[in-house]
Amino acid sequence: MSSRPDDNAPLFPPPVAGQALPSAGEQRRDFLKLALGGGFIAWIAAVLYPVFSYLKPPKQAEVEVTNVKVGKLGQIEKDSGTIVRFGSKPVILIRTAAGDFHAFSATCTHLDCTVQYKKDIGVIWCACHNGKYDLTGRNISGPPPRPLEEYRVIVQGDEVSVSKKT
Amino acid sequence: MKKPLQKFYAWLDERAKISDLVQFMGKKYVPVHRHSVWYYFGGVALFLFIIQVTTGILLLLYYKGSEQLAFESIQFIMSKVQFGWLVRSIHSWAANLFILAAVIHMFSVYFERSYRNPREITWLTGMLMLFLGLGFGFSGYLLPWNELAFFATKVGTDIAGVVPVVGKPLMIFLRGGEDVTGATLSRFFGFHVALFPGIFTFLLVVHLLLVQRQGMSEPLGLDAEHDRKTMPFFPNFMLRDVLLWLIVLNVLAVLAVFFPWELGRKADPFASAPAGIRPEWYFLFMFQSLKYVPPRILFLDGEVLGIGLFGIAGLIWLLVPFWDRKSARGLRSRTISYVGIGVVAYILVFTILGWFL
Amino acid sequence: MVFVKQVLLPAAALAWILLVSAIPSRADTRDGCLTCHQGLGDKPSALFAHDVHAARGVTCAGCHGGNAATDDMEQAMNKTAGFLGKPAGDEISLMCARCHSDSLKMAGFHSSIPTGQFAALQQSVHGRLSLNGKERIVQCTTCHGAHGILAVTDPSSPVHPLNVVATCTSCHNNAKYIRQYNPGLAVDQLEKYRTSVHGVRNAAGDGRVAECASCHGSHGILQAKDVRSRVYPTNLPGTCASCHSDPEHMRGYGIPTDQFAKYSASVHGIALLQKRDLGAPACNSCHGNHGATPPGVESISKVCGTCHALNADLFSSSPHKGAFDAANLPECETCHGNHEILPATSALLGVGPDAVCSRCHSSGDAGYRTAGTMKALVDSLESGEKKAGALVEEAEQKGMEIAEAKFRLRDTRQAGLEARTMVHSFDGARFAAVIGKGLATNSSVTEEATKTIQEFYFRRIGLGIATLIITVLALSLYVYVRRIERRQAGEGKMTGGPPIH
Repeated sequence: MSSRPDDNAPLFPPPVAGQALPSAGEQRRDFLKLALGGGFIAWIAAVLYPVFSYLKPPKQAEVEVTNVKVGKLGQIEKDSGTIVRFGSKPVILIRTAAGDFHAFSATCTHLDCTVQYKKDIGVIWCACHNGKYDLTGRNISGPPPRPLEEYRVIVQGDEVSVSKKT
Repeated sequence: MKKPLQKFYAWLDERAKISDLVQFMGKKYVPVHRHSVWYYFGGVALFLFIIQVTTGILLLLYYKGSEQLAFESIQFIMSKVQFGWLVRSIHSWAANLFILAAVIHMFSVYFERSYRNPREITWLTGMLMLFLGLGFGFSGYLLPWNELAFFATKVGTDIAGVVPVVGKPLMIFLRGGEDVTGATLSRFFGFHVALFPGIFTFLLVVHLLLVQRQGMSEPLGLDAEHDRKTMPFFPNFMLRDVLLWLIVLNVLAVLAVFFPWELGRKADPFASAPAGIRPEWYFLFMFQSLKYVPPRILFLDGEVLGIGLFGIAGLIWLLVPFWDRKSARGLRSRTISYVGIGVVAYILVFTILGWFL
Repeated sequence: MVFVKQVLLPAAALAWILLVSAIPSRADTRDGCLTCHQGLGDKPSALFAHDVHAARGVTCAGCHGGNAATDDMEQAMNKTAGFLGKPAGDEISLMCARCHSDSLKMAGFHSSIPTGQFAALQQSVHGRLSLNGKERIVQCTTCHGAHGILAVTDPSSPVHPLNVVATCTSCHNNAKYIRQYNPGLAVDQLEKYRTSVHGVRNAAGDGRVAECASCHGSHGILQAKDVRSRVYPTNLPGTCASCHSDPEHMRGYGIPTDQFAKYSASVHGIALLQKRDLGAPACNSCHGNHGATPPGVESISKVCGTCHALNADLFSSSPHKGAFDAANLPECETCHGNHEILPATSALLGVGPDAVCSRCHSSGDAGYRTAGTMKALVDSLESGEKKAGALVEEAEQKGMEIAEAKFRLRDTRQAGLEARTMVHSFDGARFAAVIGKGLATNSSVTEEATKTIQEFYFRRIGLGIATLIITVLALSLYVYVRRIERRQAGEGKMTGGPPIH
């Protein structure tokens, strides 16, 4: 053991058992030790709790805003439309009967409803007020005042992704 | 309860000879005098560095170092990861406090002439660590890939490019190409989390070993025997250190909660530069000085001259233990004090000018 | 002023003298050209006798040149002496413009008609080059005639309000001719016009109702898609209003004159005239253009339904369709009005004093109950959306990240908009289903926003707790260090070191 006096060592090295009978000073010291030990344990807890919470992976998948993968080429049917979450905005990915891809902002330019692909008439259609856009995004009928904003579709191998037009 | 602990300590001591270490530390004494308070700033800087390493590792778990994902991943850390906001804000705040503590530490060592024989290596390693700290700051600033950082990095690396002969290749090396792009981000990320920490750790080990081997330097003029007061390094000084660290930690937590570090807007290389671009505060005095330098002085380009002067001044400062012969002989040199006061005043004035103009 | 006095006035006087001397006075009936040609009995000279120009002393030579004073044909029609013969192509209009575009000359004839016609014609759709590429499509004479030109107020003039329709349609209902210039342009305007109120009255001899030129203009007619055109969508309401909002003009027709004022304040008028949304209807979108007539009671929902298709379909299959027809109530108009259609708010729905439902339904009937329920549902969604929006905003202002909940707030809004359409089914269950969808997303948004705001306070409380812990630890450490040092001082381990401060 170290050569230093025992009463210097409540933390390091471990205190030696069997000390003198508790005096008033000793009692105060016990309280101090309690405060030190308790405080230290509480502090460790206060540091470790955020750290361990941080280590736990969050449930939601993270948001990727400039480029969103949609899926495999084979999985996207011809003559169909899919709504893709693009950051905080919906994007509609259209695959025409001929197999071409187009992507547009799915937010109707009229009153911000979300548009859909209407297979029977082959247009992009807004359910709220019957707004229609053709497959190049142009507003062709109903109340929409402007065409839909176009996005870029990238087909790399058999991976289809949508990205912002720059 | 105490018995098993004691037993464990004995077991460990038998193998690792801990008691030797305790004895060594117990015999170490720290001089006590009216300038003792400055001794603590090295410890604070060390503590902040440890915090940087810890929070940095935590950030690495979620950060993605690419042009496409960097900004979004920080956004993700700030919003989705539990306590992610805390970890990132502490990392950013501690970075700034680290520089502050290191600068104070450096100037206190300078004014005490603690760099004098036999502590020249301690001074050199310390200065190099400070430069590395600035490098940490500069490289880390870009990693969130936001607008301000993007343009600050552009300006910063541009300045590096002005240096004659080596400037252009240096700029291309820093940027990983002609322009600040995703390649720059990858590079800075590598510097920030691998290269710099590696070098820094080596320097830190040397620095601390020397401090432990040589003990604390005493200011000149404390030679009279009756003036000499000391306190044991362990536990007195170390516990005080711990006490101060606790307070620093609390300050960090308060800053992180009440002033969470902002993320800004994602960098767009094709957008025009936003107003109010300026580097981090610790580069501000150099940035501001370069603004005042006229475009041409005699046959020299003003900016080149400014950068050159800063380089020479930095080198002179770095080598102070070797040209300050007076203090090596135990005499106080007035020149050193005047130079030091001049430098502090210059940095203060130009930082304030840069901040408010 | 000096310039006018010293230069312009003498110049005008000189011009007047020259003009008067060049043209034989009216009293001088010895116009050699006319005398001779009348003797020949040709058509131009016969027509020219009634021409408005002849009445003002313009002779044949005024346009054709030559010497009118001599009886000798060789001399009279000598090209070297200035005889022009029959002007062709653009020369015709240029000939007219020589006087008609010159206000000084026109003043000489005591004429007050404008002088900008030729310039307007050149700018107009008719002023473009014709098929042969050498002349403009239309010359002055195309509409006004050549030798028998009459004042526009003369009932026999081809441009008199009662005749102008026939004049325009002499080309414009010729499919073969029009196709050469604009294959997409309709040629059925006359047919439609004759079915319109304007056309019927015009045919009956009322010259004050609108004919072609009233809307399209006369000399400066532009294509309808030209933004400067009087019939371009954003200009059209003003064009209609130039007559229909003029109480003087409309006196005797027994219809109001406030439609334009009402329209301008309506949701359609604001969209078209202020927001420049060309999708919004102008007058002609509901009334037709060439066949302008107010839609019939039953056809209103079809007319509105050309744009508001879902609402119209829902209405047509709702129980109200039969009831409205039986009571002879105009469909959409009964609740929404006609010219002054205001943005539909939920205040229209329900049984309150502003609600339109209670105009027919009274307490106790099934419709009254349904209206009350629907209103309650809409109100709960609206207040829920407002509350969720406020919470999201609060969380944002507190610096918290809440983009995802904000994104889902759109669904609530969308349900509200869909519900507004679904009202027209007047079916409580279908309506409740749409509202329910919105309420569900809204409650999840509210929950998340509340949680986020709680997180904000959690951070501060957490900081408080951590600070407390650190303070306790730091204080006890401080006391501990002091005690150690006291003991060390007792043992002389420390040579009078200062107390910690």
